Amino acid sequence: MTTLSLTDEPRRQPTSSLAMKLKNPALLLLPAVAFLGFIYLLPLIDLIRISISGPSWLTYFERVFAVPLYWESLVRTMQISVTVAFLCLLFGYPTALLIHRTRGLTRALIATAIVLPYFIAILIRTYAWMVLLGRTGPINKLLVAIGVLGEPVQLLFHRGTVLLGMTAVLLPLMVLTIYSSVSRLDPGLTRAALASGAGPIAVFWRVLLPLTLPGIGAGFLLVFVAAIGFFITPTLLGGPGDQMFAMHITQQADSVTSEGFLQALGVVLLLITLAVVAIAGRFLGLEFIWGGRKLTESNAASTTRAAADDPTRRSIGSSLADTIGWPLLRLVGMLPASFGTWTVRLMGGLVVAVLILPIIVVMVISFSSASYLTFPPPGFSLRWYEQFFSDTNWMRAFWTSAMIASVSAIIAVGLGTCAALGIVRGDVRGKSAIMLLLVSPIIVPPVVLGLSLYTLFLKFDLIGSVFGLAAAHAIGGLPIVVVILAAALQGVDKRLEQAAAVHGASSLTVLRLVTLPAIAPGLAAATFFAFLHSFDELVLTLFLSSAQLKTLPLMLWGDINYRLNPVLAVVSTLEVLLVVGGLFLARPVLATSQKAS
Amino acid sequence: MAEPVALRAGNLGARGAASQAAQARQVIGSSIAVREAEKRYGQFHAVDRISLDIEPGEFITLLGPSGSGKTTLLNLLAGFQTLDGGEILVDGKPVHNVPTHKRGFGMVFQSYALFPNMTVTQNVAFPMRMAGVDRATTARRVAETLEIMRLSAHADKAPSEMSGGQQQRVAIARAIVMRPKVVLMDEPLSALDRRLRESIQIEIRDLHQTIGSTILFVTHDQGEALTMSDRIAVLDAGKIVQIGRPLDIYRHPANRFVASFVGESNLIEAEIMQKRGTTVTLKNRSGYVFDAESRDAIDVGRVTVLVRPERIAIADEATANSTPVTVTSAIFLGETLRIEAQMESGETLLVRCPDSAKRPLPNIGDRLHVSWGPEDCWVLA
Repeated sequence: MTTLSLTDEPRRQPTSSLAMKLKNPALLLLPAVAFLGFIYLLPLIDLIRISISGPSWLTYFERVFAVPLYWESLVRTMQISVTVAFLCLLFGYPTALLIHRTRGLTRALIATAIVLPYFIAILIRTYAWMVLLGRTGPINKLLVAIGVLGEPVQLLFHRGTVLLGMTAVLLPLMVLTIYSSVSRLDPGLTRAALASGAGPIAVFWRVLLPLTLPGIGAGFLLVFVAAIGFFITPTLLGGPGDQMFAMHITQQADSVTSEGFLQALGVVLLLITLAVVAIAGRFLGLEFIWGGRKLTESNAASTTRAAADDPTRRSIGSSLADTIGWPLLRLVGMLPASFGTWTVRLMGGLVVAVLILPIIVVMVISFSSASYLTFPPPGFSLRWYEQFFSDTNWMRAFWTSAMIASVSAIIAVGLGTCAALGIVRGDVRGKSAIMLLLVSPIIVPPVVLGLSLYTLFLKFDLIGSVFGLAAAHAIGGLPIVVVILAAALQGVDKRLEQAAAVHGASSLTVLRLVTLPAIAPGLAAATFFAFLHSFDELVLTLFLSSAQLKTLPLMLWGDINYRLNPVLAVVSTLEVLLVVGGLFLARPVLATSQKAS
Repeated sequence: MAEPVALRAGNLGARGAASQAAQARQVIGSSIAVREAEKRYGQFHAVDRISLDIEPGEFITLLGPSGSGKTTLLNLLAGFQTLDGGEILVDGKPVHNVPTHKRGFGMVFQSYALFPNMTVTQNVAFPMRMAGVDRATTARRVAETLEIMRLSAHADKAPSEMSGGQQQRVAIARAIVMRPKVVLMDEPLSALDRRLRESIQIEIRDLHQTIGSTILFVTHDQGEALTMSDRIAVLDAGKIVQIGRPLDIYRHPANRFVASFVGESNLIEAEIMQKRGTTVTLKNRSGYVFDAESRDAIDVGRVTVLVRPERIAIADEATANSTPVTVTSAIFLGETLRIEAQMESGETLLVRCPDSAKRPLPNIGDRLHVSWGPEDCWVLA
């Protein structure tokens, strides 16, 4: 018979044996952490070491801030980045709302128009703008045709083009970040506000905007951080007066004499980036870097709640909203009721056009029969495709890229899957810190990473090796894999795994029969994106490749600087097809992650 | 592989046959001994030094509100979580070093947890496949089990094509297909509607009689616990506050918590006037004197008395041992009338009486007279 045992027997503490410790999934984090430690953290530390290795530790930094060329460029970089972030926000927010408000096919089309460019190489999208804005490009032709211009003018190579190009390139990032925050809103809230008598504008001002503020902040900062390290777009679209900071690093990298000073440039860029991210993390939680999804460790209060808990901040916010916002809104409120809707539609439509048109123009041009870039093409032919596929240099570059991307994807998916399992299922302290390490390569400017890796690769004689490049690309591929798979794993019902275990399946069998099938779509998507990341990678490759090992982006880069011909349009079209195919395959994953978020 | 206990599908659903089945029944269940089990989350004691002995083949229910530690205790048994102190013995052997998949239990989850990528048959066959049972035996046993659970027609369906009740029966089939010595059930019925819940309650109860496994059933539904269990362990704040047969728990709750958690209760403040053996004479705040039963250990002083709503008699006229009340609410519920009335002490009394032609539904404000016998109330410590 049962008794509530009241005797104080000496209590036995169950000992957890070594075997059980070895079964902790947290151990799966080790390979990825070791990989990043060696190929990512170590070089960055080394970069800092070299930057302070001058006669005095400040020597090189003094030069950065003393020489007007660099100092002015730093200020200019900040200006450009802030402007771009603002432009992205201005156009991105209505676009995110537009996606949220439309339904069915329209929504799918708009979403595709945003997501597709997001995954197309920056190099190719910048190239598309060069085509669009070129002397014989469609915009010049249109302006001449309608009589605005007497003759074609140079639209490229000044500040405006840089801003336009960078904004266009970074807009998808902004839209997707804001959208993830908009879509997480409980639709009941809007209805509740409407039912309480708030007009559409009041709903926006008092409900929508405050609740999506974290998303706005995250989007702004992500765009800003990306813009500071930008290199490809300003180089191709800017004039001599638009030198951005990252461009100095690549230019200096060619001269051996600048050892130390060069690293100091990189460190300055890195520190600015980290400072911005740290400040952002203070307000938004560092989760904003990978899309704001919380891990199982939920002791950190969510950002919205943190904001709501702070009474002073709230009251300042709402009094500001009341004193400045409301009068303004009343003015706006005099406009016809459909004003808000039309603003959203027009701006969203503009954004979609700006994102999609360049790609379409480039695709059309790839079928041009002309021997130079012109739009609309005088006739259609496959001559540029023939030229591409018969040119051994292009083909070799293509296969090199494919091989590097495959190896890189294998590394990233192998390490990333283990790491995601470890981070979601493992029992380990400092999960957030580890996750931060795993995804931090996303925010480090590629130029800085390339510079730091260059030293490491020289030391181990990895310059120009397929494996070396693949490993370097995997640094950026790993965060993608970890983020996708961590989300997928969190979507797996823990009870399913428990049900399998209790009915006799060992850990490995559970993984094989329950977990892996459940995350298979995520795994496929992660593999594709890791492959694509490497396939498109240019900046690291510029630092780490050799004359013998040319990748496709490297060939494109050389050709864009040398001569703009329709072969580039062919490569771009092929890339677009690759991305479309990949997105089509990854669609279920994207759909479910949207539903989950 | 031992030949399974023959299952007589015909017995199922017929409550009356259960007692015969119990005599003929073969007990294959394990005994379970929980000793000073402890699970902490920081400062919070989810399971606070619980000890519990479960007999082979017993149907025991862990009943408690959410956060009382019942699911944690079940997870500790299943091996999903590890003990911070104490030990758990199954058939006398400690299990903390036995991984979940080697414990050989069956388990039914609240969310069913059917593998979405497998058919019903594959789901049910899963434990047998894991145990390495040969194909022919597996097929036969799975078919047998599906037959018992009346699922044969759905054998090739995907779980997503079935209703909640069917899915839950698949989950039960999966849990019992191996004839495990222990079956754990984690609120398996809470996602089902009332009617379905009641029919599956009886099904599980009869199944327990037939297969003879030890069943640990977790629920927060006191009605479910009372219907199904051999014994109920009531948990609160990580401790077992009372353990006993359903009848004992209901009629003689150990304290206010059990009294109010299990069943509806009127808790009346009173003072003990006099004590004769297990019968005491009490006086409530407004001077109403009545007798009540209690356990031996009660001292003289202020106590709380439990009177179940259905044990209260109502009359229109005062009788020898009645006290007047004023009706504050009266609802016709079908088979019963539910009347709330205020006593002179200010306490509200809930009364349930069977619907009868003799008693019209009282109006609010009516004066009635209530009374109860000594055997109808129970003095709480």
